[in-house]
Amino acid sequence: MDKEIVRGKKNSLTDVPGVKAGHLTVHEDFVDESGRPVSTRTGLTAILPYAMDKEMRLFAGGAVLAGKGEMTGYEVMDDFCYLNSPVVIANSCNVGAVYDAILSYGFVLKREEVWPPLVIGVDDSYLNDMPRRLFKEEEILAVFRDASDGPVQEGAVGAGYGLRALGWKGGIGSSSRILVVAGREFVLGVLGAFNHNNGDLTSGGDSLTLIVGTDIPVLPNQIQRVVKSLAAECSSWTAPGGTDTVSCLMFSTANPMSMENEGPRVFSYKMIDDSFLSRMIEAGAEAAGEAVTNSLGKASPVQGKLGRVLRTIPDSELAKIKQRRG
Amino acid sequence: MNRRRFMGTTLGGLSLWPLAGLTQEITASPRLQERVEDEPRKRLRELGIRIGTLETGPHNALTDVEGVRVGQTTIIKGEGKGAARTGVTVILPHSGNVYEENLWASAFNLNGWGEMTGVAPIESTGLLRTPIFLTGTYNVGIVYGAAMEYLSRLNPGMGVTEETACPVVAECFDDFLSDTPSRPINTDDVFKALDGAKPGPVAEGAVGGGTGMMAFGFKGGIGTSSRRTGDKDTVGVLVMANTASRSELRIDGVPVGRKIKGFNPQPGKTRSIILVAATDAPLLPFQLKKIAKHVALGLAQAGATSHTGSGDIILAFSTADRIPRDKRAPFRDVRSVSDFWITPLYQAAVEATQEAILNALTMARTIVGRDGNTAYGIPLDQVRRIMMKFSSID
Repeated sequence: MDKEIVRGKKNSLTDVPGVKAGHLTVHEDFVDESGRPVSTRTGLTAILPYAMDKEMRLFAGGAVLAGKGEMTGYEVMDDFCYLNSPVVIANSCNVGAVYDAILSYGFVLKREEVWPPLVIGVDDSYLNDMPRRLFKEEEILAVFRDASDGPVQEGAVGAGYGLRALGWKGGIGSSSRILVVAGREFVLGVLGAFNHNNGDLTSGGDSLTLIVGTDIPVLPNQIQRVVKSLAAECSSWTAPGGTDTVSCLMFSTANPMSMENEGPRVFSYKMIDDSFLSRMIEAGAEAAGEAVTNSLGKASPVQGKLGRVLRTIPDSELAKIKQRRG
Repeated sequence: MNRRRFMGTTLGGLSLWPLAGLTQEITASPRLQERVEDEPRKRLRELGIRIGTLETGPHNALTDVEGVRVGQTTIIKGEGKGAARTGVTVILPHSGNVYEENLWASAFNLNGWGEMTGVAPIESTGLLRTPIFLTGTYNVGIVYGAAMEYLSRLNPGMGVTEETACPVVAECFDDFLSDTPSRPINTDDVFKALDGAKPGPVAEGAVGGGTGMMAFGFKGGIGTSSRRTGDKDTVGVLVMANTASRSELRIDGVPVGRKIKGFNPQPGKTRSIILVAATDAPLLPFQLKKIAKHVALGLAQAGATSHTGSGDIILAFSTADRIPRDKRAPFRDVRSVSDFWITPLYQAAVEATQEAILNALTMARTIVGRDGNTAYGIPLDQVRRIMMKFSSID
């Protein structure tokens, strides 16, 4: 096994073959019926782990620490260890709208169903008048339709548009690593929505969300080992005392399974040896750290609710964070 | 809060029947007791009672899963004060060396007031790497030590140049019948069980780890059963039953525990049950977790409500694929039953679990233990009569 860890071509979750991502970013100012000014600074970020028109599912697993936020579809993922849906990060008030749109997406695709929808809620209420703007189904379906395997757009975009991390403008970040096993190249990619606090508990929202994708053949118990370790690593970057919600979700594209009820009785899978998991965890933690700095570094300033402004992190501060993660 | 305190009423160690007396039931007891002791013990099926609809394997035992072997050492020493009624039951999960060739496994902790060692690595790696030992609570350390000795004798490199394994040792509290603080077990007893492990029929009732156990207010202990699915998969279950109150007991849904007269040495106790399920169907650890969870339903069907002081811990493993410890290959091919086809295995697990628990009862004879404490074998004539009244006998 090759020891060197290198980035994927796009340094993005979309380096994992077959994975696509897309954003919906909403910026609206209006005056409501009662004459109150409303600022909408929100959005959603969707990850399509495989070509969603196929009746199939992938092994997946989640780890949630200090869970205060929503992760729908968790029961099936926890018990049956698969996903069969886009993974969408959106503000908490839009979880229902997104959930419903994912169901519609399955019918649009003429699949039997896309169920259960995987929607992760985040709190962007610092900049966003959260309950005031629900996404429309067409908007959400358009994100799925237009999702791309190009480099994921980072910073103040999609679900990251209203987020606040470490006192600065937070948002979406992504990164990837190439791992070579037995002469074959694999990818491990991450995408995060960074909304977490540092030592100052009013420096962020209250969450760190990380989606991990890979084409390495990992089985459910191996996914659990990796995703738990990554959640613990991410938690160490958040508010002391572990009060921030850390939600990690991981999937592997390596063992696609049929969704058909009358499919084969026994499935065959590939699995990687357990001894390789520590390198995956190491690579995942490194990529997650880089995703944080990417999200902060690329986030343009946003002015939102009550005239609040979140600025881009200064280079000197960013350098300090990079150093800690290095 | 310590273990003994939580178990409350078990403590005094007094057999209540000679003391409490003075009810109709108790005055009837001596005569009934003679009858029950004369009565040959029978498995549930021999009483004409069938649980569920699936066929059993040839031995209606855990060992119907190809390669699984069971060995037991029963320790019955002394009378009165300091008497020992304990032992160990060992399950060898396949015919080879399980340290070198591991099996997929998973545990489910239904109610955690008990001990099953070795669970953390099973949950982390999904692999069972040692035999499974069932014994009395205070024997765990000694049995664990013996298990390590056995493993390192068999695998001289273990702990020297090779990784160690954490043996699975599970317990129930056999304090009512046995002088537990004296820990009346030694390494030889454990080795005897290992050496005697064999396929085929399994002794049930007051044997091995079940020697001092009580369940549903009667003498409990080791019980086993198996099922074959329409897909020709076998599921076997073996329990060490030491749990639940008499009033809870249900046989095939019939509230037998509420109908039985006499034989009432003690009020309801909270104790434990360890349940082990094996299958030859190819299942991955997350699916074995689901099998283990469904085993809990079989426990519930026998009537148990899983008391707060009961250590109800379940382990499930699959013998279909052996995963070599020697991991030179970076990738491996594995297989497992599709989730859509797994339901018959759930049914098999639930049926076999209920029957295994009931076999532990019907096969356990009356045992007089430390300080004269007596656990009665469930009166089979009454069981038959009650079941007939409820028309549940074919």
